[in-house]
Amino acid sequence: MSYYTLVTALPDLPALAKCRQMPISRIALDRRLTMLSEEDLQQLKRAESLYYFDAQQLEGLSDQRRVYQWQYQLNEIESEQIRQCIQERLEWQSLLAAMRQRQQGDKGPEQFYGFGRWTTRIRQHWQEPTFGLETALPLLAELQPLMQKGAAGEVEHQINQTLWQQLLRVERSHHFALETVICFVLRWGLAEKQIRNDADLALEAFDTMAKGLIATPTIREHIASAFEELS
Amino acid sequence: MDNLILALGWAGLYGPMALGAIGSMIGCSLAGQAAAGALLETETGHGRYIGISAMPSSQSIYGIVVMFALNRELTLGNAPGLAAIGLLCGLALMFSAIYQGRSCASAINVSKIRPEIFGMSLAPAAIVEGFAVFAFIFALVISAGLPA
Repeated sequence: MSYYTLVTALPDLPALAKCRQMPISRIALDRRLTMLSEEDLQQLKRAESLYYFDAQQLEGLSDQRRVYQWQYQLNEIESEQIRQCIQERLEWQSLLAAMRQRQQGDKGPEQFYGFGRWTTRIRQHWQEPTFGLETALPLLAELQPLMQKGAAGEVEHQINQTLWQQLLRVERSHHFALETVICFVLRWGLAEKQIRNDADLALEAFDTMAKGLIATPTIREHIASAFEELS
Repeated sequence: MDNLILALGWAGLYGPMALGAIGSMIGCSLAGQAAAGALLETETGHGRYIGISAMPSSQSIYGIVVMFALNRELTLGNAPGLAAIGLLCGLALMFSAIYQGRSCASAINVSKIRPEIFGMSLAPAAIVEGFAVFAFIFALVISAGLPA
């Protein structure tokens, strides 16, 4: 299968921080992805379902079962580099879950089940702020205080930046290959998620501002007088 | 044995043309596929994408010229030389066409994102073409030394 037509048919995604509008809709993207063979489409779907797993679908499963399922699905991805990208994404997910679990304090290290290389280390160094991983994962040391402050949005944004860079690196190291397409689609997902979050944040900020303004006595008087004039 | 040497001589005679054409087919196909994809994504500049995708066709022309330059009555004396020059020149033309096609595809991909670098993005393809010209010119020069 040749990917030359498909790769050049994909638009350029600006840097994650500069993404304000998606350059291509999901419908248009899916239409272009029909150029892929059935086998490649399956690989792409597997990669996407692991990278953006649906928490609701996994709701009934225990953490241990969830990790087994991820491991099984990951082994079905053929590309080594795509596997590494997904693995890193799931490892970050596990690290965040461990930090949340520790913060809540309802479960101990023996009840923690995570995905990837760091699980044993996390259990062994449960009480250390960054599970003794500050050398291997310098970003974790930056994220830990943010997690404690409850700035989940900022934590997610920083992790997404790291994942974005990794995907971009893999995408650029392959020219006109399935890896290029998969990395593009995964980056598209990150950008879309950020724009969606930005929109939610903007709505939230607008709502707070509106409530704050309405609560101001002067504004309330103005509104009341405006209503009186109207009636 | 004599027949084998003569067969190799014929292969050398037709080799530049056939191998150059194979390379051009692959190269034009790769660049053409990239151009077709870029047509979907861009509003303007379609002509230049199609134009670039035809770049690897020059190797076929070089192959034809070398074939005519080598064309002479085949003897046991000149067949090994014809085989060596023809096949090696053909291989050089074939690989240059394939890799030029890939360079053109990359040029199309990047100039689609930033049209202002269109000219610069063609430099790698032009350099590859330069090596094809070397193989072509020196095949002509060397062929002059072959016995008629």
